[in-house]
Amino acid sequence: MNKTLLGYVPTQSPIYAIHPFVKLFFLLIVSLFPMFVTAPEWNMLLMLVLILLMWISRVDMRTLKIYVPVAISMGSIIIISYILMSGTHPEYQLIARFAGIKVYWERVRDAIVVYFRILPMIFTMVFFLSTSRERDVIVAMRTIRLPFVVTYVFAMALRSAGMVLEDFQIVRQAEQARGFDSTGKSLAYKIRKYVNYMIPLFALSLRRSEEFTNALVARGYAFTGEASRVKRADYVLTHYSFKYFDAIFTAIISISFIALLFMRYGYDYFAIDQSILLNWLKNILM
Amino acid sequence: MSVIIEIKDYSWQYMNTRQAALNDINVQVKEGMFVGIIGANGSGKTTLAYSLNGLIPGQYNGIKHGEVLIYGKEVEEYKSGELQKFTGMVFSDPEAQFTAMTVEDELVFGLENLGMSIPEIRERLEWVTELTGLETMLLKPPYELSGGQKQRVALAAVLAMTPKLLILDEPTTMLDPVSRRRVFEVLAKLKQEQNNTIIVIEHNLENLIPLADRMILLSDSRLILEDETQQFFQNMELISQEGIYPPGALQFFYELKKAGKISDTLPVTLPDASKQLKQLFD
Amino acid sequence: MSEQTTASEITADEIWEVQPGERRSVGVIHIVITALLIGIGFVVGAFGSISFPLGFGVNFFWTGIAVQQIGAVWFGGWGVLAGTIFPFFSNAIAGTPFYVSAAYIPANLVQAFLPAWVFRRFKLDPRLKSGRDYGILFLAMIVSSAFGALWSPLVVLKGFGLLTTDSLPLFIWGWFGGNVVAGLVFNFVLLKALSAVVIRTPAFVKRWWS
Repeated sequence: MNKTLLGYVPTQSPIYAIHPFVKLFFLLIVSLFPMFVTAPEWNMLLMLVLILLMWISRVDMRTLKIYVPVAISMGSIIIISYILMSGTHPEYQLIARFAGIKVYWERVRDAIVVYFRILPMIFTMVFFLSTSRERDVIVAMRTIRLPFVVTYVFAMALRSAGMVLEDFQIVRQAEQARGFDSTGKSLAYKIRKYVNYMIPLFALSLRRSEEFTNALVARGYAFTGEASRVKRADYVLTHYSFKYFDAIFTAIISISFIALLFMRYGYDYFAIDQSILLNWLKNILM
Repeated sequence: MSVIIEIKDYSWQYMNTRQAALNDINVQVKEGMFVGIIGANGSGKTTLAYSLNGLIPGQYNGIKHGEVLIYGKEVEEYKSGELQKFTGMVFSDPEAQFTAMTVEDELVFGLENLGMSIPEIRERLEWVTELTGLETMLLKPPYELSGGQKQRVALAAVLAMTPKLLILDEPTTMLDPVSRRRVFEVLAKLKQEQNNTIIVIEHNLENLIPLADRMILLSDSRLILEDETQQFFQNMELISQEGIYPPGALQFFYELKKAGKISDTLPVTLPDASKQLKQLFD
Repeated sequence: MSEQTTASEITADEIWEVQPGERRSVGVIHIVITALLIGIGFVVGAFGSISFPLGFGVNFFWTGIAVQQIGAVWFGGWGVLAGTIFPFFSNAIAGTPFYVSAAYIPANLVQAFLPAWVFRRFKLDPRLKSGRDYGILFLAMIVSSAFGALWSPLVVLKGFGLLTTDSLPLFIWGWFGGNVVAGLVFNFVLLKALSAVVIRTPAFVKRWWS
């Protein structure tokens, strides 16, 4: 198994054949798709495509479970925002009224549109995180020629996040070993405890800054001066080659995006009025 | 053999401290030597090590007196990154030295800093992984390895840069006895095959003594004893007073000498001790 | 040889003033501290985003504000940089869409920058020795969070069509309250507990970059 940013993927997964740049490109471009698509069925289709891609990549689909609460809370917020706090709009079509709250068709429609815009964006991010190893992200960044210091800071930040999590676990285990149990304690108590965790976590990170710095300097890394202008060989890139299918995937993503824009703004495709689902729903509710 | 390290009347005091960490240190180290530095905690060993590769005063604020010359040049005169081309340092906590995602990236980092080409990196990588036995671990995250493996990675990452001067600050502190021996086996190989100048700060003397040509004892920021290893350990009373515990065999013979049972030079290694014991019985 | 002072004797002005003959320069330590702050912020921010979500990366108790603001006070421009970048990653893990997170950058930049600026401009003591230190920091927290609260829900979320005009107050107050309350809980405690140590480290930034 190989560890990705969001779990594990089997070593035999076809996703590893794809150049990391293509995965990053996919994230950056496909995340934009829902911004130009208002008809929810198209965004649902995009979600299905993403789920299919995750399945093909042999991602553990239980990873998606982590985001179920996110999806639910997001849906709840949208319902509150669009439907329960919709205000009074005589220009809209009223479909229901309860407890003083007026429910308008336009607000219900907009809530559905927004929700099914957000979900594929989240899925795109989840797909990227669950199929990319930390090294892949570095390689993608180096491929697009981001300065080495940027990619290195990113790599060290990831490493640091892992260490902070480990430190957090150690501090909690030490407390539990001394009989501390926060079960049943009030929120205020838990927040106070959390503050007490933050202090040693910060202190540990400060100490680490000195150690990391010494290690980097001892191995000839410099941020300023002549040593910083050395041309780096980017050895890590030698393990990755941009193959013909990477070019094909990049082209497919680019062409899809251009086609989407063309159809959206040239022919008004993917608009609310064109949505079969929304028209059907409107007929039911009205 | 030429002198590559020359420390003259060197003192260092960290900012916001009341006492100097090092006082009036005078040391010369010749090329190809293996030097062991011992002393109680807080005696100034790490400060001395940091002074040799430019971390002091480069990364630390403080007050410096005297000179620290590496290859005839004061450490402060080297441009950033220049001194590190021929001095390498391994720290006691391997985890604190890892910033890369894989062992291979960790080993290659220093080589890229030197501006080496890909074929050169490839060759150097092959050499150092064979030397340190890391061939099967290249794609693993370094922080997921065992303690001994981590320290081998830390050592390999520095060795890959083929420093002429190698400084190791308590490299085996966090290791079990087997891993400790493995590290010293690598150092022994280096001493034999590469003729590096090696300086090791250690508490555990069992593995250090057989390799060290000279020993230095620091106490309370001062250098109180320096000599060839064999001669060094004839000063057992002073060494014991400083809270240093030499190997059991050496201590055993010291007790015999104190009791007047032997008058010979104390043996510093196990084979020497074994030989001397046989002679005693014969 | 200069006189040595302990951390308790040093005044607020002395903390921020570069002494005659004192050499300060940008170094590797600043890169490292930026990375470490991003790492801490990533974990702490994600905790807040996942535990107390309002939606779209807006939280009603965002713990990351401490790393954002205190990091900037101690480490100047490097802390501001880290404080601007890490929410992007913590939001991503918490499920906020990529471009929404990217659009929050100005809000996070101001939230990190303002406390750092007031400490340097008014020579406040990071160890919070007086009511003036507390008061001005509090004001900076209020103003910066207000900017963030207006920028993010109003410009970003309304601009992306993710919120209605009627629901804006909920999100504006949610962002504002989520940052100010969390800041009140964490910022003062962290500054009080750790500033005396931090100001003595080589990583501490007196000006903006060194």
